[in-house]
Amino acid sequence: MTGSDLPSQLPELLPRLWSFALRISGDRHDAEDLVQRACLRGLERAHQLQPGTSALSWMFSIVHSTWIDELRARTRRNRSSTEWDDDMLETVADPAARTPEENAINSQIVSAVGQLPEAQRVVMLLVAVEGLSYSEAAEVLEVPIGTVMSRLSRARQTIGTLFGVRDNQKTKVVIASKDPVS
Amino acid sequence: MKMDSVLLMAYVDGELSADECQEIEKEIAVSPDTAELVAQLRASQLPYAQAFAQQKLPPVPDSLTEAVAAMARAHAQRTATPGANDAAVARDAFTPLSAPVRSRLRIAPQWLAVAFVAGVVCYGIGTRFLPGFGTNPNTNPTATLAAANPEEPGWVAAAAGYQQLYSRETVVQVPVNTELTAQTVDEIQHQDGLNVRIPDLSQAGLTFKRVQRLRFKDKPLVQIVYLPQQGAPIALCVMKDARPDSTIAEQRVESMNVVTWRHADLSYALIGKPEGTDLSALAKRISDNDVQTLFGDAGVSMLAAN
Repeated sequence: MTGSDLPSQLPELLPRLWSFALRISGDRHDAEDLVQRACLRGLERAHQLQPGTSALSWMFSIVHSTWIDELRARTRRNRSSTEWDDDMLETVADPAARTPEENAINSQIVSAVGQLPEAQRVVMLLVAVEGLSYSEAAEVLEVPIGTVMSRLSRARQTIGTLFGVRDNQKTKVVIASKDPVS
Repeated sequence: MKMDSVLLMAYVDGELSADECQEIEKEIAVSPDTAELVAQLRASQLPYAQAFAQQKLPPVPDSLTEAVAAMARAHAQRTATPGANDAAVARDAFTPLSAPVRSRLRIAPQWLAVAFVAGVVCYGIGTRFLPGFGTNPNTNPTATLAAANPEEPGWVAAAAGYQQLYSRETVVQVPVNTELTAQTVDEIQHQDGLNVRIPDLSQAGLTFKRVQRLRFKDKPLVQIVYLPQQGAPIALCVMKDARPDSTIAEQRVESMNVVTWRHADLSYALIGKPEGTDLSALAKRISDNDVQTLFGDAGVSMLAAN
């Protein structure tokens, strides 16, 4: 993959760039502007794309940095960074016949990741959702790989605590329901 | 002492050697803190990708797909013909990623115009990211034209978005090429099949600068650019439209004022910044044929005659 291939690659990368932009921005209008601007930037800098570099990671990097720029600009303009579109984040029952419990857990997972601090949330999206390696995520975020691992472990501690607590609560409920007398 | 959580995460994820695992298991046996941390990390081993795959996300908007495809095409064409916009590229391509947001629209490269000619719907690029545009779609009725004006054909939004990229500097140095203009108008009339004339708007203080043959979704779109005495350029855009005639209607598209009307199978859009020229009054004069013609009347050019 080199920069000259980018124009032909972009259309097929678009769905994943769109999902990523939606998830980091939480707003479909912002996401559309974000992806357009990132594609424009990507094409302008296509010559900087080194052979062997993943075009997807490289474009994720541009989407992310464009969004960070935007958040900084909004902070300067004294605006809230983003208003989360809850409708967009709704998880729906999977038609592939998953159990209601699985659907509920999926919703809880999405919600738990959404509640993480921004830096940890993005690392989780890149590594756990998009399947990037630690080093690819480090390149996307332009931080050392150790920072990625550290953010990831903190994110997972938080989520693990949340799910551990939920599991304990579920256990308590189950135990209580087994004894209708008490 | 708590062990390094990164190391423990690698342990939980099965990424360590047998020896390293033994070391950690020894530590777990004697350290409740470490045991707790490992338990948390184990509890965090969840089907994230599956969970997010179930997330209900809106599909990629058609406008985005078209815009990116056209950008890619335009870029491919541009790189295939080096020199076309070299000056602009040299200035724009190395803008740091952290370039101030406020300057973004201004650094939109010239090849975007090529993208437009290639049929892109490039309106709206970055406008939500600019001061003065709401971030909440509920409070920004003009952020998306399609939502604000469901009846309005997309070309008006595209033309307004394109015009938004124009500054006074874009055309102030452009000399009026009478011969080329006459030839372009002839091509518009005879090849594109649009009976378009270039109105003389000098009485309203507007100087004709140029006419361009653009295309929107593979159909001819004419853009006639005028420069007022002050402020940003104003464009009169025209496309074929078989719908019945309609009187002028003013609307806001992004940051632009747009006055539209239809006459004799042509749809017109007069586009400019809100401040300055009274576009509605001007549109009325044009639609009432209360203006003279610079180009397009049987090949007569008033500019040429002058």
